[in-house]
Amino acid sequence: MAFNVLVVDDSAVMRKMIVKTLRLSGLPLGEIHEAGDGQEGLRVLEEHWIDLAMVDINMPVMTGEEMIARVRENPQTRDLKVIVVSTESSETRIDMLQDQEAGFGAGFVHKPFSPETLRQKIVDLTGVSCDELTGDGIAPGSGPDF
Amino acid sequence: MLPEPVLEPERLTTPATAAVSVPFRGPVNGRLVVAVAGDILPAIAANMLAEDDLPSDHQQQDALREIANVICGNLLPRIAGPKAVFKISAPEAIPAGTLAGSCQRESPAAAVHIGLDLGRADVMLFLTSEAAHHTGQP
Repeated sequence: MAFNVLVVDDSAVMRKMIVKTLRLSGLPLGEIHEAGDGQEGLRVLEEHWIDLAMVDINMPVMTGEEMIARVRENPQTRDLKVIVVSTESSETRIDMLQDQEAGFGAGFVHKPFSPETLRQKIVDLTGVSCDELTGDGIAPGSGPDF
Repeated sequence: MLPEPVLEPERLTTPATAAVSVPFRGPVNGRLVVAVAGDILPAIAANMLAEDDLPSDHQQQDALREIANVICGNLLPRIAGPKAVFKISAPEAIPAGTLAGSCQRESPAAAVHIGLDLGRADVMLFLTSEAAHHTGQP
């Protein structure tokens, strides 16, 4: 199975780093889409089948929290697997997000992250087996470390 | 890029080539400023993108904004505690030539100057008000 992935972040550099990490992860990838804010992310979800979304929290126009809430309200997208990739460090806000996401497929990766951390979170969340991973995965230091 | 253990005084006064400010509101209000001098920004952006090619000016600015955002997001809980909630605004570019004047009008509450072989990076924290729970401001 190939995963269609949506990367939502207002930083084009960060989106590129995440996409590069995805390509190095060995995850069987289908289409990769990018969006610069939550509203744009929702538009992509309306137009394309997405298996996994990597979503930043603090973004202009529509935050990641609001986007994820809209995703959960929509029967078409409510089971979407989401990884929040954010600088958010407040335990209060992270706990709230995790409570909101309890029962759904969601994970949290804190910036700065290493490619290995992101890959492991993807593997944990998608349940992809080692047999399905292509290549040797990420060698330490092989990708952007942020 | 290699860090230099001692930053010579003349290196400290080299004007910044790029700077961004990240405003925040919460238990304390203020902004975090990250400025770079010399040739370090292209190297930082290329490192983030894991590319050998010179990143575009837009990518370099974007990289600096993201670095400032990450530093700010990680610094604030260390100041106000892990449960404190902050509203961190999008990083804003500081127009070239205005940073020095801004720093003369207002002293940072804390500042770190990092010397590197390619230039210098400054991280400055400006606090603008009392704790929000004292003022009733979010």
